[in-house]
Amino acid sequence: MGRSSLRRWTAALLILGACAPRHRHPRLVRAPSVTDDAGRTVTLAAPAQRVVSLAPSSTELLFAVGAGRQVVGRTTWCRYPPAALSVPVVGDGLEPNIESVAAVHPDLVVLYRSPSNGAALTQLEQLGIPAVVLRQDRLEDVARDARLLGTLTGHPAVGDSVAQTLDVVTAGRPPVAHVHIAYVVWDSPPIVIGAGSFLDQLGTLAGAQNVFHDLRPASAPVSLESLASRNPDVIAVVDDSSAAATPSFAQRPEWKAVPAVRAGRILHLPGDLFGRPSPRAAQAIAAFARLLNTAK
Amino acid sequence: MILELDGVTARYPGAERDALTGVTLGVAKGELLAVLGPNGSGKTTLIRVALGAMKPAAGVARVSGRPAHEWDRRALARVAAVVTQREETAFPQRVRDAVLLGRYPHLPPFTAPRAADRAAVRDALAACDAEALAGRWIETLSGGEHQRVRLARALAQEPELLVLDEPTASLDVRHEMALFEQIRSLVDARGLAALVITHQVNLAARFADRVVLLSGGAPAGAGTPANVLTRETVERVFDWPVAIQSFDDRPQMVPLRRVLPSHRSS
Amino acid sequence: MKWGGLVGAALLTLTLAVVLGPTRIPLGELAGSEIVRDLRVPRALLGFLVGGSLAVSGAGLQALVRNPLADPFLLGLSGGAGLGAVGAIALRLPGPWALPIAAFAGALAAMALVYRLALVSGAALDPRVLLLAGVVVGSFAAAITTAIVSLSEAEQLRNAFLWLWGGLSGASWTTVGVLAVYLPLPLLLLLGSARSLDLMALGDEPAGYLGADVTRVRRRVYLAASLLTAAAVAVSGVIGFVGLIIPHAGRMGWGHRHRTLLPVSFLGGGVLLVLADTLARTAVAPRELPVGIVTALIGVPVFALLLRRWVRA
Repeated sequence: MGRSSLRRWTAALLILGACAPRHRHPRLVRAPSVTDDAGRTVTLAAPAQRVVSLAPSSTELLFAVGAGRQVVGRTTWCRYPPAALSVPVVGDGLEPNIESVAAVHPDLVVLYRSPSNGAALTQLEQLGIPAVVLRQDRLEDVARDARLLGTLTGHPAVGDSVAQTLDVVTAGRPPVAHVHIAYVVWDSPPIVIGAGSFLDQLGTLAGAQNVFHDLRPASAPVSLESLASRNPDVIAVVDDSSAAATPSFAQRPEWKAVPAVRAGRILHLPGDLFGRPSPRAAQAIAAFARLLNTAK
Repeated sequence: MILELDGVTARYPGAERDALTGVTLGVAKGELLAVLGPNGSGKTTLIRVALGAMKPAAGVARVSGRPAHEWDRRALARVAAVVTQREETAFPQRVRDAVLLGRYPHLPPFTAPRAADRAAVRDALAACDAEALAGRWIETLSGGEHQRVRLARALAQEPELLVLDEPTASLDVRHEMALFEQIRSLVDARGLAALVITHQVNLAARFADRVVLLSGGAPAGAGTPANVLTRETVERVFDWPVAIQSFDDRPQMVPLRRVLPSHRSS
Repeated sequence: MKWGGLVGAALLTLTLAVVLGPTRIPLGELAGSEIVRDLRVPRALLGFLVGGSLAVSGAGLQALVRNPLADPFLLGLSGGAGLGAVGAIALRLPGPWALPIAAFAGALAAMALVYRLALVSGAALDPRVLLLAGVVVGSFAAAITTAIVSLSEAEQLRNAFLWLWGGLSGASWTTVGVLAVYLPLPLLLLLGSARSLDLMALGDEPAGYLGADVTRVRRRVYLAASLLTAAAVAVSGVIGFVGLIIPHAGRMGWGHRHRTLLPVSFLGGGVLLVLADTLARTAVAPRELPVGIVTALIGVPVFALLLRRWVRA
């Protein structure tokens, strides 16, 4: 065999190698097609290059799968990651203004799954703008949606790897719960987080058992009496104030019937990490575990 | 004099003309005064001014010597009782409870009606020949019966002055006469003063001691029925030809027929 | 006899409210339980006071505007309170009492505005204009409230509406104490006007000749009824139907005389609200239904029944 044939063989092998199916790294698909969380089939002619995101969780996810530079529109509430702040705002996301969305000429719009977005979906369809509907309530949803958005924006590999990180987190066996916790979202009437929310999931993975895990929805109003009688060791609120600050409800006389409130055992979960289901779940869980230890 | 009006002139806010102009009259105890006049001659306004419900633009109205608008409303209600031309259909209640409303001016705010109040109610119903109606529901009464009950309510106030505004409107002859007989006997037997507003000339002439005739808010005559109700005066005030005949020493008016002028194109 | 039944019903519902709840507490432990002492008892008392106040206010307003379909919230007070509360939430006003105080202030502002609009010729309140002014002010406040709610974050949106639907979750010995001190004055004002309200059913003029100072009574009743409603809304949001239905039920059993009707309404309103709240707390435990929905669910069929009897009578 001469040197030129060796080169030719090497080239052929390389080409063959490149063509071999890879399980770990999905191929870049030219006309991506996915089924979204509303059961709709979304097919694009080519990976989306101009994406408008109408929910903070989607914005964060888009940046996480490497599609940050393709995001051309966000809502006022999309503030993470910091790079997102330079993306133009097209509205506040609730009952979106389709005119401002269309004005940035998107080739994909990402919506949160909610009945109030129904009209927006219809309008986008009429304008011929592809839309994908995501429901990100729990960590499994984030994993699935990471793959979905990765495929649609031409970053299937990154999307897949983000999803796999989350899969590892959710598949792992949760530690034995050593703290009983309740997550209070509102005080009049008292609204707590239930099993349907990612917060409940994060807590379980950090070793905190939600005393209202028997509630199926993501959140629900409960009687103060139930909260008092279920007697969580600690109350968690999602806000950005320091650990020293007492939330206003804790000063009300009737809330003193809850032992955790009376003793001031209130955890403040930073909104950044805990305000929505995000791909940084592992980070959130670790932070949560740390907070739980200091609370004891 | 229980009631005195002295040169009273009154005008409703926003009206173009006075409703009353220079009206002077007086009612004494044991006397029945009838105020007569066609529709719109200011008769109801007269009651309002007389009892302080409306302030006169000129002149003064006095009850028991004191200006009417200076009276406390409850104190005034213990001296003067009014049967108005119209009242709202109040809630369903029994006659004796409806008459009990007349005792309210005598009841302090937080006390329950006493035995004396119920006695006054029975007494008032008896004086109006309405004792049999005491237990009836007020919505079931006929027009005449209802009017007797309203009179009883006024009597339950134990007033010195009784004021009635068109009390016989929509009553038939039997009930008209009965009501006036009742008022007359109250005036005679109890010494009440009575001021009756009516446009029924003949009834006024038969029962009243004195008569005041109003025309367009201004007095057109005052005195005994015989003196005031002459043919010229009545024809002028009521704008219709009449004949005056005497019955029981009282003038009675008989309206004459008149052919109305037919349309003439001009 | 009937009075005995009503007082008995009041005591029974209060007892049920203390004995029943989302947590099972055996009878023997009731006296010593912190939950019973600090949560259930004040909540039962608060429910009674609020329900009673709303019913008495409704009875007074129905007489004032001479309309049996009047409800304490017809005069714009709920709109004003809702605006105050939502404003407090949107502005994130600090302190545990920000919400009730803002709601109370909003209700009083609405009351003053409606009063000003309804004044005709000097100091007289015209009932028809009062109704119209109330609807206008209420709608205006509701429009601003909706605007604020739509401009704020989604979470606040739902929470604001949940507050508006009414609830006794804020009950504590403090709120009960504040109401116990505050309520007697407007209640006495209304009770003192009872006779005049009977007379005013005859019409303004006849009532005047029977000794009622119609202008002053109207003002007093409007003020007292508004003060009662404002306090109720500040503490527990908008709870409908109590003020509308209870006076009617009271009239059917005890007649129209306000000296009887007002106290009867107070007891009846207390019974209805405490009963509704007990249901709201226990029906889907540990979750809690908004009590305004339960009073509507109980109230609408009851009202339909009463309406049929009223129409037939």
